Amino acid sequence: MALHLNLLHEEILEQRQRQRDPLKIGMLVLIGCGVLMFLYYSWNAYRTLEIKSRLGAIERSWAKVEPKVTAAQKRVSELQGIVKATRTLDDYIENRFFWAPLLQKVSRCVAPNTQLISLEGSVDENKGVTVTLEGIAAGREPRAAAEDLRQLLLEQLSQSYSEVKVEFKSLEDLDTMVNLGGTHTPTARYTLALTFNPAPAPKPAPVAPPARQKKRGDT
Amino acid sequence: MKLTKDQTKKLGLSIVGFVFLIYVYFTFFLGPLNRSRAIALSKIHDRQSKLDASKEEMSKAAKLEQTARTATERFAALKKLNPEGAPIAWFPPRIKTFFANEQIDKAVARLEGNAALKQDELSGWLKYNWVIDVPQADYAVIGRAIADLENAEPMLCVTRLNIHALPDHPQYQHVELAAANLIEKK
Repeated sequence: MALHLNLLHEEILEQRQRQRDPLKIGMLVLIGCGVLMFLYYSWNAYRTLEIKSRLGAIERSWAKVEPKVTAAQKRVSELQGIVKATRTLDDYIENRFFWAPLLQKVSRCVAPNTQLISLEGSVDENKGVTVTLEGIAAGREPRAAAEDLRQLLLEQLSQSYSEVKVEFKSLEDLDTMVNLGGTHTPTARYTLALTFNPAPAPKPAPVAPPARQKKRGDT
Repeated sequence: MKLTKDQTKKLGLSIVGFVFLIYVYFTFFLGPLNRSRAIALSKIHDRQSKLDASKEEMSKAAKLEQTARTATERFAALKKLNPEGAPIAWFPPRIKTFFANEQIDKAVARLEGNAALKQDELSGWLKYNWVIDVPQADYAVIGRAIADLENAEPMLCVTRLNIHALPDHPQYQHVELAAANLIEKK
């Protein structure tokens, strides 16, 4: 067996030690990691820049659209306000109480022997319409003439309004006699209180016809 | 393999350097970058949703413009019913002219006051309360005049009506009307 003499033993050992230097290896690892991290950072930075450019484009298009959108929103709220206001005004107009038809009905109910002295009426949103009629009735039975007027008013008003009440607040005989159709007749002074809801009375629901007519002889 | 003291020291130094590098990388580089990206993404999401909503908003406005045309025209017509200026300046003469056209010579309107309306949608309107005094009128004539007034003035609502026979002229009546008129605030 040949004998090998290593005369460079110390140099080789030093070289190996230099190669295995942990600081050097650490530095190499650090540099490797640093490179990887840089590459990863660069990739992320590229993505971020791309996202930011996208954001810029969207911001620009939003800046173009925003004034239009703001104007549209303003217009929408304005139109909604107009629609609501018009609806409310129309409700107000339609729900007014019209006095002329009432005056016409009253004039039709007043017979020549039941003269009216005054009419006082008012409308309340909650209570409905209240009217006070004051007058003088004449006839052989002046109280009956006043009662006829009350009945007629009740009948006439019930045709157009609901919850109609016509009541005497007062009815008293007067000493005064009046000439009615050439005859002297006694008189009575009456005060009638009319209350009603201006809304027309609901129509009764139609009665459903029987499903089948019962034949003669059916049990 | 056994490390020498010097090698252990260097290895420790390398580990410290590595930890420092990681810390600096995540704290000062990658962290802020990711944060700014996340913020940009959330802004994109926000703007995109606003853009999508804006399209809906604009189409809604266009549709509403078409559907509300009738209401808009009606609203403009209702506003036109009352002329410009203070109501006290134009309403009494208008009533006087109206009753004169109805063959009622004398009619005086006076303002009792005004009040805001309860409804929020009518915040731009005021209710003016008037008292219209007709000292002498025939029942049939005043009845027709009231009918015409109610038809000609849709914003006017008669709230109280008093008719009294005149003692000296039983064929005539003294009439007093209380009316509320809706007028837009100027």
